[in-house]
Amino acid sequence: MSTATNIPAATRFSLLRKPAVARAARLLLAALAALLLVSILLELLGADALTALQAIVEGALGAPFSLGQTVMIASILVLTGIAAAVPFTARLFNVGAEGQLYAGAIAATAVGFQFPHLPSAVHVPLLLAAGIAGGALWAAIPGLMKAYMNANEVIVSLMLTFIATLLAEYATTGIWPSGLATNTDPLPGNALLPTVSASTDITLGAPLAVVAVLLTWLLMNRGTLGFQIRATGFNAHASELNGLPVKRIQVLAFTIGGAAAGLAGAILVAGIQDSLIAGGAAGFGFLGIAVALVARLSATWMIPSAFLFAVLQVGSNSLQVKAGISPSMGAVIVGVFVIALLALGAIRLGTDGAK
Amino acid sequence: MSTTQLVLATGITLMAPILWAALGELITEQSGTLNVGIEGVMILGAFTTALVYQRSGSPVLALLAAVGSGLLCAVMLGALYIRRGTDQIVTGIVFSSAAVGIAAVLSEKLLSADSVQVSSLPTLSIPLLSKLPWVGPVLFEQNALVFAALIAVPCVWYLMHRTWFGLHARAAGERPLVPETAGLSVRGIRYVGLALGCALTAVGGATLVLSVAGTFQPGVTNGRGFIALAVVVLARWNPYRAVLGALIFGLAQALQFQADSVPVLADVPTSILLMVPYVVAVVVVLLTHGSRYPGAAGAPYRPRAEQVGF
Repeated sequence: MSTATNIPAATRFSLLRKPAVARAARLLLAALAALLLVSILLELLGADALTALQAIVEGALGAPFSLGQTVMIASILVLTGIAAAVPFTARLFNVGAEGQLYAGAIAATAVGFQFPHLPSAVHVPLLLAAGIAGGALWAAIPGLMKAYMNANEVIVSLMLTFIATLLAEYATTGIWPSGLATNTDPLPGNALLPTVSASTDITLGAPLAVVAVLLTWLLMNRGTLGFQIRATGFNAHASELNGLPVKRIQVLAFTIGGAAAGLAGAILVAGIQDSLIAGGAAGFGFLGIAVALVARLSATWMIPSAFLFAVLQVGSNSLQVKAGISPSMGAVIVGVFVIALLALGAIRLGTDGAK
Repeated sequence: MSTTQLVLATGITLMAPILWAALGELITEQSGTLNVGIEGVMILGAFTTALVYQRSGSPVLALLAAVGSGLLCAVMLGALYIRRGTDQIVTGIVFSSAAVGIAAVLSEKLLSADSVQVSSLPTLSIPLLSKLPWVGPVLFEQNALVFAALIAVPCVWYLMHRTWFGLHARAAGERPLVPETAGLSVRGIRYVGLALGCALTAVGGATLVLSVAGTFQPGVTNGRGFIALAVVVLARWNPYRAVLGALIFGLAQALQFQADSVPVLADVPTSILLMVPYVVAVVVVLLTHGSRYPGAAGAPYRPRAEQVGF
């Protein structure tokens, strides 16, 4: 059902023939299918599905504090979503946003501890810049290896994720030990992002994520580089024949993605957790892939998509108390939902559909 | 045993799970499917093994159950990769993270914490050979699943290069129009390739529980499935070279267990030692950048017959 020649039977109804309506219908169908599967799974695990799903929604949106947390996690996911989407648009599989996030987080932490006496107005931008640079550099490795040596970027970016995760672990024990094995001491106060809304603990990170979305939208839809990235994604060979510097574009696409993930790392450290925590990213990088896919790689759709996954992520934490299910169920719900979307053809990438 | 012997012996034990997974992925890729969901298949195999072993106490039953879980994964993944033609990299990554999640949820629910311990398989000594000086205890005192993995290597080579199935599978992986023209079902061949691959990968997960970890924890595979992807590239789709590749990673992992007895490594922090296999994987991919994937691997196939409306 993936090419124009193979129109699903449902399109006999004229309304469904409109692509937008058909897509919305598929999205709805996939959501319902995922909901059904997850409910069955929850019942099999001996939990009341309704209670569990209610626990997720209430855990994410029920109180000002949890709502604030959901907004902050959504900001992180918007950025890791961009980290996946920009390279995906160039048909490069950056599945290492998690590692780039950690690289950014470590760089930001270094700046945070290195200059304890800088005024906040200098310190915070410096810390954010360090995060962005850390993520961009970490992503440049698979980008360069892919573009100039045709190495498999999936394997390289995955392996770099494991390395960065262990680096973060080392940073909390070997570089900035605090006595606790899993996290550093809190960053100095003037390195922390200012709070935007005190009652919900929303910090500067949230507006920064929105700015990143705007910049990405401008870059991808109004800039030359965005056009070049899309052209490379459609057909790298043809782009090359038309004189586009394809290799450089591929490296840039990876680097831009990594910069977004690195910013997410800086926000995580200085705007949410206030210290570097080993394992603190808790799958945010991988969730970014889901965010990007559901947003169909479009920058503007990244915000609602990230919010949806943030609700699942934050809400899952209350599953343990409310329904006796491990919070890892969140990853399962996300997986079932995205796989349902893929199976029903509601999200599709360039090569999807048989050739 | 001397330290060198210990590192080598541990390295060979640790090689086995990666080798199983790499052999499986090799068959799958040569038949035209890129299974990035391999990490998920492996962890579900590991979980199933721990569960069945805990309930029945029989390693054989546990192994069979793991194969079953692998086949179940193949049915799910095949429906997506092969039938629906979804993007294989994205589907595989999402499947892997969902599988790691479900294994964590289920293990908390079904494996009681105090009895998760799975007793390791007994070490088998090959008569005579294990008496050899120096190499004997390193090579010939391993558990059955390690020996089985090594025996599987020529079997996979034979399957892919000397049988009817192997010939057509490789054709389906290189140029799927050819087997279709010969009247065969490309999708059918690929399903079989995926099923064989997932079964072997799940055995890799079982090996991890039964011979290496001796227990199941969420995240026990720790990227071993993804490492197997790198091993396949390094081996250039040759099972014999896969042994070498898997051994490199086995040795890289062995260092962390034997670090205390190696003077040079004693002061290196654990997190840095744990990094070694992943760094090795990056270097390996870099060094083997010339390796060419099977021509049609990763691209879903839509039969011509379907396209012209038969």
